[in-house]
Amino acid sequence: MSKNYLLFSKQESRLYMAFMHVTFASLLIGGLMGLLQTLVRSGKFTLPFGIDYYTLLTVHGVILGLVFTTFFIIGFQNSLMGKTVGISDKQRKAAWLAFWIMLIGTAMAAVTILVGQASVLYTFYAPLRAHPAFYIGLTFVVVGSWIAAFVNFRQLYVWKKAHKGEKSPLLAFMVVINMIMWFIATLGLAATVIVQFIPWSLGYAETINVLLSRTLFWYFGHPLVYFWLLPAYMAWYAIIPKIIGGKIFSDSLARLAFILFLMFSIPVGLHHQLTEPGIDPTWKFIQVILTFMVIIPSLMTAFSLFATFEAAGRKKGFTSLFGWFKKLPWKDVRFLAPFIGMLAFIPGGAGGIINASYQMNALVHNTIWITGHFHLTVATTVVLTFFGITYWLVPHLTGRRLTPKLNKLGIIQAFVWTLGMAIMSGSMHIQGLIGGPRRSSFSEYAGGEQVATWLNYQLAQAVGGTILFIGIILMVYIFIQLSFFAPRGVEEFPIADEEEDAEKSPKILENWYLWIAITIALILFAYTIPMFDIMRHSPPGSVPFDWPIGR
Amino acid sequence: MGKGNPKQQQPSQNESSINLKGTFISVMLLGIFILIAWFGLYALFLSR
Repeated sequence: MSKNYLLFSKQESRLYMAFMHVTFASLLIGGLMGLLQTLVRSGKFTLPFGIDYYTLLTVHGVILGLVFTTFFIIGFQNSLMGKTVGISDKQRKAAWLAFWIMLIGTAMAAVTILVGQASVLYTFYAPLRAHPAFYIGLTFVVVGSWIAAFVNFRQLYVWKKAHKGEKSPLLAFMVVINMIMWFIATLGLAATVIVQFIPWSLGYAETINVLLSRTLFWYFGHPLVYFWLLPAYMAWYAIIPKIIGGKIFSDSLARLAFILFLMFSIPVGLHHQLTEPGIDPTWKFIQVILTFMVIIPSLMTAFSLFATFEAAGRKKGFTSLFGWFKKLPWKDVRFLAPFIGMLAFIPGGAGGIINASYQMNALVHNTIWITGHFHLTVATTVVLTFFGITYWLVPHLTGRRLTPKLNKLGIIQAFVWTLGMAIMSGSMHIQGLIGGPRRSSFSEYAGGEQVATWLNYQLAQAVGGTILFIGIILMVYIFIQLSFFAPRGVEEFPIADEEEDAEKSPKILENWYLWIAITIALILFAYTIPMFDIMRHSPPGSVPFDWPIGR
Repeated sequence: MGKGNPKQQQPSQNESSINLKGTFISVMLLGIFILIAWFGLYALFLSR
């Protein structure tokens, strides 16, 4: 029997499913908050029981941006490692430890936000101050994810030792790249939280260096985006070809793209701070150039995907220019949902290039265009791909089947999501271009003329948000069905193969020392001088602010 | 490459065996979309 149909042991499945349960509970909670936000911003709805808008906004950002994504990614990646390189009992126990530490951290941060003690949004910019439990909870989540990362590193190391001279499985290679990137990036987060925020929120330090904290946050914040995106790319490169009945287009191209993402995702955080005073514009410009380097692996991915689809179609005998496109498995939700995600990345990526263009950033900075942008990239591209993965991963883990009925419901879900997001994200983009601010609660801003032009777009966002919440309810229903009620059976874990006559991948692609050394060198190049400047020339630090939002 | 040598011709035949014209057109359209979006916003930027 092919390994793709061989189920995991019960202990292993339980571990991966634990991550999935947290993922979908987070989706429901975070999604509800999103719905309420769009309703409030429409100006037609007031929150009951004195609930603060910024509490909702913080829950939405933290639960969806950090918890939903991280739990799904680590659960999915662990299953990829288990399938391709295996997991020992000791490694499994360490992965459980990672899970529990992350869960405790999540609970701490979530409770602190829900009781109104951490309305600081997911970026927790100083000088807004949250209760120390919020920062300590976030630290736990990160530490737990580090344990998960080191388990993954160990898994590949053990496999390589047992398979001397062999190329590592593509998916295991990709997981390790993503976790190396995550580890290097979260060092910045750990530094600002442990050295700056925790002592300051506890009252041990009187002031905080705001600019330094924001720079360290964005040192982490941009690779965070790629930490979300790379698991989707894993599915696109190595899972989708199997679902469409094709082969991996190029193992070497996929590995090279991931290496480039590792190198160019981190030394680019300053492009989130292009309007930030106190940072030398030269270094902002250098990081803008480095940001544009990320376009290369993104376009390599786009090319590779089109080629995968076309090559698979041609092999099935379609000769006309786009005949292969028509015959893709449109009725298979495992393909359709990620495919819509890929399509959404076209405007999402184009928007990203606009955001990172130094001067043009002024057009969109701090406007709701940005919110529209990341609802395309993360909340559509990444999320629809994650849903696409869920349709086969969860039944594979629970020993159940994706029935035709659930498949059909999944297709409806994908269309509902697409419609809701097109309305919501589309109106956010337009409202942003006419100056509508992001983050803030509903306001008429004392009746400004420009403000009147925003209101209809805010109403449209409420309509889109409502449709999206229906999509969330559908998805959670499907998840529950696949977890507990779908008929017993074996669902394939679809890992694609290479072509039989594929060229051998160059060995240098697995030279970890080289790629990590270049990554570190680029980070040192891009950050050493601006960081030194920031530490030497920053204005005096700030005392904490608990008002108007915070604690 | 010698025309009469079948061994040497083999790789080029393999390379051209997959027709990727559709891919070529698709990536070109993608590039055009990115350029239109960028220059559209650039025009807005200049107009302000």
